[in-house]
Amino acid sequence: MNQCYGCETCKSADKPLENFIAGLPMETSHHRVKGQSVKCGFGLKGVCCRLCSNGPCRITPSAPRGICGATADVIVTRNFLRAVACGSGCYIHIVEKTAWNLKNTALNHGEIKGHKALAALVEEFGIDASLDEHAQALAVAEKVLNDLYKPVWEEMELVEKMAYAPRYKKWKELGILPGGSKAEVFDGVVKCSTNLSSDPVDMLMTCLRLGISTGLYGLTLTNLLNDVMLGEPAIRMAPVGLNVINPEYINIMITGHQHSLFTHIQKRLADEDVIAKAKAVGAKGFKLVGCTCVGQDLQLRGVHYTDIFDGHAGNNYTSEAVLATGAIDAVLSEFNCTLPGIEPICDELKIKQICLDLVAKKANAESVEYAYEKREAQTEVIIDKIIEAYKERRKVVPMKLQPEHGNQNTLTGVSEVSLKEFLGGQWKPLIDLIVSGKIKGVAGVVGCSNLTAGGHDVLTVELTKELIKRDIIVLSAGCSSGGLENCGLMTPEAAELAGDSLKEVCKTLGIAPVLNFGPCLAIGRLEMVATALAKEIGIDIPQLPLVLSAPQWLEEQALADGCFGLALGLPLHLGQQPFIAGSELVVNVLTEGLKEMTGGQVLVEIDPVKAADQMEEIILERRKGLNI
Amino acid sequence: MKRIMIDPSKCDGCKNCALACMDSHRMDGGDGVVTLNFTLPETEARNEILNDGKGGYLPMFCRHCSVPGCANSCMSGALKKDMETGHVMYDEKRCGACFMCVMNCPYGIPKPSADGTKILKCDFCNERPEGPACVAACPKQAIWVEEV
Amino acid sequence: MAEIYVIVGTGAAGMAAAERIRLYKKDATVIMMSIDEHSHSRCMLHKFLGGERTEEELSFVEPDFFEKNEIHWGKAQKALGLDIQNKRIQMENGYQPYDKLLIATGSVFGIPPINHFRTASNVYGFRDLSDAQKIDAAVKAKNAKHVFIVGSGLVGLDVATGLMERGVKVTIAEMAPRVMPLQTDDIAAKAYQERFEAHGARFLLGIGASDSIINDQNEITAVVLSTGETVACDFVICAAGVRPNIAWLEGSGLETERGIKVDGHMRTSAPDVYAAGDVTALAGVWPNAMDMGRVAASNMCGVDTEYTDRYCMKNTSNFFGLQMLTIGDINAQVEGADIYVKESRNCYKKAIVKDGVLKSVLIQGDISHTGHWQYLIKNEINLSEILKRKEIFDITYGDFFETDDIGEYQYKN
Repeated sequence: MNQCYGCETCKSADKPLENFIAGLPMETSHHRVKGQSVKCGFGLKGVCCRLCSNGPCRITPSAPRGICGATADVIVTRNFLRAVACGSGCYIHIVEKTAWNLKNTALNHGEIKGHKALAALVEEFGIDASLDEHAQALAVAEKVLNDLYKPVWEEMELVEKMAYAPRYKKWKELGILPGGSKAEVFDGVVKCSTNLSSDPVDMLMTCLRLGISTGLYGLTLTNLLNDVMLGEPAIRMAPVGLNVINPEYINIMITGHQHSLFTHIQKRLADEDVIAKAKAVGAKGFKLVGCTCVGQDLQLRGVHYTDIFDGHAGNNYTSEAVLATGAIDAVLSEFNCTLPGIEPICDELKIKQICLDLVAKKANAESVEYAYEKREAQTEVIIDKIIEAYKERRKVVPMKLQPEHGNQNTLTGVSEVSLKEFLGGQWKPLIDLIVSGKIKGVAGVVGCSNLTAGGHDVLTVELTKELIKRDIIVLSAGCSSGGLENCGLMTPEAAELAGDSLKEVCKTLGIAPVLNFGPCLAIGRLEMVATALAKEIGIDIPQLPLVLSAPQWLEEQALADGCFGLALGLPLHLGQQPFIAGSELVVNVLTEGLKEMTGGQVLVEIDPVKAADQMEEIILERRKGLNI
Repeated sequence: MKRIMIDPSKCDGCKNCALACMDSHRMDGGDGVVTLNFTLPETEARNEILNDGKGGYLPMFCRHCSVPGCANSCMSGALKKDMETGHVMYDEKRCGACFMCVMNCPYGIPKPSADGTKILKCDFCNERPEGPACVAACPKQAIWVEEV
Repeated sequence: MAEIYVIVGTGAAGMAAAERIRLYKKDATVIMMSIDEHSHSRCMLHKFLGGERTEEELSFVEPDFFEKNEIHWGKAQKALGLDIQNKRIQMENGYQPYDKLLIATGSVFGIPPINHFRTASNVYGFRDLSDAQKIDAAVKAKNAKHVFIVGSGLVGLDVATGLMERGVKVTIAEMAPRVMPLQTDDIAAKAYQERFEAHGARFLLGIGASDSIINDQNEITAVVLSTGETVACDFVICAAGVRPNIAWLEGSGLETERGIKVDGHMRTSAPDVYAAGDVTALAGVWPNAMDMGRVAASNMCGVDTEYTDRYCMKNTSNFFGLQMLTIGDINAQVEGADIYVKESRNCYKKAIVKDGVLKSVLIQGDISHTGHWQYLIKNEINLSEILKRKEIFDITYGDFFETDDIGEYQYKN
């Protein structure tokens, strides 16, 4: 017997990571998959209802209705709406805080790094461009916040400004234009509570509303507001994986989705006096180590702070391995995915946990609830606490560095602006490639990482390989990006895995066949690209040879995301069904009925080859529709 | 003899049977699944649900076999097929914790207890008049008792 | 007059046979004779030695077994000879005629040919309750502090734990380079070795005894090792192997090789004489002895039955809280085989697969639900298809799940 915690860890597409985790002496999420592998069928199908004390009720042939009379359709839809509402709430929380940070930055004449981003927003929102930048920023922030706080019966002002016109028209027809984002979440939660709505179709339409609100505000706007405060993404080659962790520095792993909370910390860690503090305890300085979406955000904008950020180490289910290297001295968490499982690991490895947003409080984390006006004092406190942790732990905790893990040349920093610039300032080159057939179509492989669709990132990586083999270029955002990049699929060398035509395109342009948009928030950016392409061609989004996949979607946010994709009329592939299989109605609406309504459809397929086949078929259909 | 019959196609993996088994064999004097401590190793069921690899489930329940591999290998006399009921009953006090029964059941049903001092095996709920607790608890009637 | 069924031996084979005979023959006279004072499970002798169980608590049948089954038991007498012509067996108390005879006299422990070992008064085996009683007496009589044990197989480790339970130190000499050499590989052996050593045992691996020192009461006071080291001890226990108990059959004309020769129905060369259990040398494990006893009994009663499931390379062990299951030869050098290993802080698993067929398996740690391994190995089930989609250790009976029309499990083809 050896020191390994257990005999059974789940597979990972990232083999070096899989081996590292299998050999760890502590338990991780990968160890716990087998023990939870027999799933309750009622839960899996969404036909278990716990909304009242007469329950929990389950739908069976001998009991086809809950005690209240709810059918499987009602129970499944209520459960689904609840998840989408919560998921939407998550993203709206993020954009709300981001908008407040922008507002406070404007009011305090803080630094504006993304001038072009600000100008673009000003134009889109119809704000007076003659105002000084801070006034502009203030106006932008206030417009966003005003919208977020509107009551549910008042359409949000920016929806029409940001949405693609044909889509807006369709949504208006369907009556799914959202009211205030927070009110929508509120109503969504109320609607699916005990004995309220029992209209499955109405609840599904509510999910679409929540999707639109999530997509335009949570996904799209958060990125643009962040660009203003933190700088725009810039395409560059960057190192990724556990190799970015340098033990000579005081390393802080960050988790969450709110890059703007780190604006001040980022700056401070590069200041002379702070570096001196680090040197005084034997380190060369501080480094932020990217993990989860906020890490992807840092990577996206990495060109602006290369001295305190060496790279993105991995996605949510890589976070435990990141900590297990022993070289992380503190975790700063402010949102998901901050796994509860990191608590015992941080305890064991004496890693200081500090939580910046109470919504993501870890039991053993110290809470420093971020407040703009207190940010300077808070940052000093945080820095000092981390230095203490560094001093204490480096003496006693052994290193398990993985300098070979990951790679040095992942293409990152792709955004709706940087990609267009890369193509020479216009979309035409990309459209030409698609029209000519050199690129068969575009696939967005986005969203989370999970451990049960074949294993950690297994379906994501396999599906992506199948898609690029079929000359379909892949755009990625979210933890799926974190997995794909650690497996080398975002390096120029990955072109070798693509079909001949796509391979040639990649080699000519010097790009990877998989483009890294960054955090899951950047799914909104991806959708902006789709909108831009559609606009230029003069078609609506459902006509584009574009498919979306969230192969290993994980949490409720992903479902809200997915509803935006469906509202946009995109085919959405999922590796595992979202607990809806117990309702024929819901399955029919999402996989067939939606095609008539928004043009979108859900495809559930866990086999990567079959999924790629289905996605390719849709792309070919759409090409035919465009006569290309 | 009475035997618990299985239709795997009806099983939904809800594990009500496992909970009922835990409840009917608990040693803490409590009653009702709600008061069961799910994290104690001693709270362990004598049945098991496996994935069938195709999205379905396989209920693993002791058959009280006509030729019981477990009883036929018992070196302490703890496992014996009751001539009247036909059930293979287990006398914990006689058991020597050698686990030859674990090795000899071709279906892998018995298992050592968490503390390694005895085995866990179905006892047909000790012939209670209402029948086995698991059968009563199944919401899909995937298991039922038949005279064979 | 009722038929006389005679069974010599009250171990696993004998008792299983007796129960089976009574099941088939309500009216026959069944007589059992054995050297035992108490019928006992020799797999639990260490619990007697360690003080956990009394003699009676070693029984593996109900207390009223003999009364309930109307079996006459002539206990505490040795078997002396067999008169095949006249169909009678010679016991210490006299001759017993039979219509049908089952010989289930088990085996006896061997003493290696080390100087004084076979003549000293304080060299014991650990095969029967009488051996355990002698050791128990010796421990008390000498206030024994240190015992030398030859052999670290199951019997050696069993007697060691019994003695360690009473605070007696043990030194165990084993010729092989690891403990329990037939059922372990180096890694699994280490796990047990560490646990025994943590409780004060000393192992001499790859080392044998070469000589011994006796006092003038003809007692061994020390054993000399092949390394030259001298190990003082209060007495010696030989757990280095057994051989079938057939010496008493010399001159009877019954055909023997290593043990009594039997056919597939457990018939010996003599008419109406059967043999079962260790005395046949076909297997040395309890479940097989019981099976042989039942088969012999069935045939003795005219119910034609064959002994078909002969697989015996199987074992479980449970020492110091660590359980282990071994099927097959886990150290076999099988050319072209795939060897699978999984190891962690609380489990060690190893499997040898050749051309899709599992040859042997070792599971140390949690042995829950491991009963299917014996079936897969002894029936040489081809696992190639399953191994395409599953790792070897994830294979369960579930992969062969099938029920017949009366709900019994069977293996799907």
